[in-house]
Order: sequence, then structure tokens, then C-alpha cells
Amino acid sequence: MAQEGGCLCGRVRFSISAEPVGARMCWCRDCQRIASGSPTVNVLFPEEAAAFEGGLGTFRMTADSGNTVERGFCPTCGAQIYSRTVEPPATQPIRIRAGTLDDPGLMAPTAYIWAASAPHWAPFDPALPRYTQGPGSPMMEPGNDL
Amino acid sequence: MTYSGRCACGAVTLQIKGAPVGTRQCWCRQCQQIAAGGPSHNAIFPSEAVSIAGPLRHSTWTTASGNTLTHHFCPSCGTQVYAQSSARPHLMTVRFGVIDEPHGLRPEVVIWTDEAPAWACIDPALERWPGQPPAPAPTPPPAG
Repeated sequence: MAQEGGCLCGRVRFSISAEPVGARMCWCRDCQRIASGSPTVNVLFPEEAAAFEGGLGTFRMTADSGNTVERGFCPTCGAQIYSRTVEPPATQPIRIRAGTLDDPGLMAPTAYIWAASAPHWAPFDPALPRYTQGPGSPMMEPGNDL
Repeated sequence: MTYSGRCACGAVTLQIKGAPVGTRQCWCRQCQQIAAGGPSHNAIFPSEAVSIAGPLRHSTWTTASGNTLTHHFCPSCGTQVYAQSSARPHLMTVRFGVIDEPHGLRPEVVIWTDEAPAWACIDPALERWPGQPPAPAPTPPPAG
């Protein structure tokens, strides 16, 4: 079943013809900047399954991982839509921001990444793994468990 | 107290003088849409305390109470910088994300919890409102 979504103002819509392959929250400092101080909440899909319309703005940056990532957003309302890894190419699923899915509860996050960059007050679900940096990096010590 | 900040690409920078009148975490559906899926985290300052340099673009939505909420963002990277309600033009709601660390701010109140997704992890120690809470008290005008 296709997953549908879009931005706040309605300019950008997208459809994804695949099931999600994962979901996680990213506390890297770059994500906090674009997520109004939260972690980005990302649902992962095969990149080739995603089709966007409406004309997205993009900007590219070097992430803490060292990879070059492209962020897609709505030029009219600023809503963050996706992040995809452009260098190295074809290595990562596309990360769709959960808030732009028509069903933001489609897939609950299953891990925290870049948790070492989280602010001291960040709440953590103790049931979820908490990686200091990217997926597979050393785990954080317990703390702030709710 | 002063704060500095910038958007993700650096085109927008800001300076803030003074302490916020309140801090909030907002789970309304609109905030989830512009905040990449989580809640927005907001520090509310008197408008005159905030100076912003660089281009901004804005968009609006009508809130449940009928007010117009205008949110301002960087046109180059989409980073949300601040929002302002038509009911409270004397206040600016600055997004935590654009304030440089270490800023020492943390959310004191969580609002619109009724719209949070089932997986939301919300600190139970925070004051909690299912929808919109009463507005913060306005800053009194200077004497005289």
C-alpha cells in the first residue's frame, strides 16, 4: 500500500510505493536545528519508491557521519520533508520526516541515534536502543529514562 | 542573559537579549509537520529582545482559537526560526533549534498532548496541557 504525505501548507505532496524499512530518531545537532529543538523523527524507505511533487527546496551539507546529505523542504512553509545520502551514493534508505506522513504513527521509532548530542533534558524511552552516534556505534549509558 | 543563534545553512543569524518569559514543547499537528515529526521546542521572548539578520520567509495557519499563527523560516534551508500569534504581537516564539548551545534552556510546559502520536515520549514531570494553555502574562509596559 502506498504511503502518502505532504507539508503543512499543501504545496508539497508525496507518495511512497513501499513499506517502511525502519524508523528512528536522530539527535545530531544538525537535526535539532531543522527540527525546532527536537530530534528528527525519520521513517526509512527505499529511495526509489518515493515520488515528490510540488517543487521542493534542497540544501546539502556534510553530516556528522561525514556523509553528504541532502535535505528536502517545502519552499513555501519550510516543512522538512526528507533527508537522503548523496555521497556515498545508493547506500542508505531515504529518511522521510514522520511529521509529513499523513499517518505520523505509521511506524514507531525503534532506536535513537546520535544520542550523545541530545540536550541534558531529552527524554528517552528505556525500551529503545540509544546509539551515541550513527546506527551500530557504541551504546549510551542509561540516563533520563522515562 | 544573551543568546546567539543561526539556521542550519547559516543564512539567518539572531541575537537575543534577556531571559525568556516561558518555554514550551508543542505537539500540535502543525508543529509536527514543520518540526520533522517531533514537537517544536519554543522559548518565548518579548519581541523587542530579538534581533534577526538575513532573509526570512513566512507562512501562516489559523489556530483552533481563531488566531493567525505566522511562522518564519530560512528560505535557503527551511529551518524554522520563530513564530508569532496575531493575539500576542508583543511576543516572539523562538525555536530552540536555532539557539546556539549551550543555552541552558529546557521545556517547562508541554502543550497539545492530545495530538501527539502514540509513540511520543513525554517527560511526566512537565506541566501538561491537552490543548492550548492560557497565554503567558504580557510584559508590563514601562512605568510612566
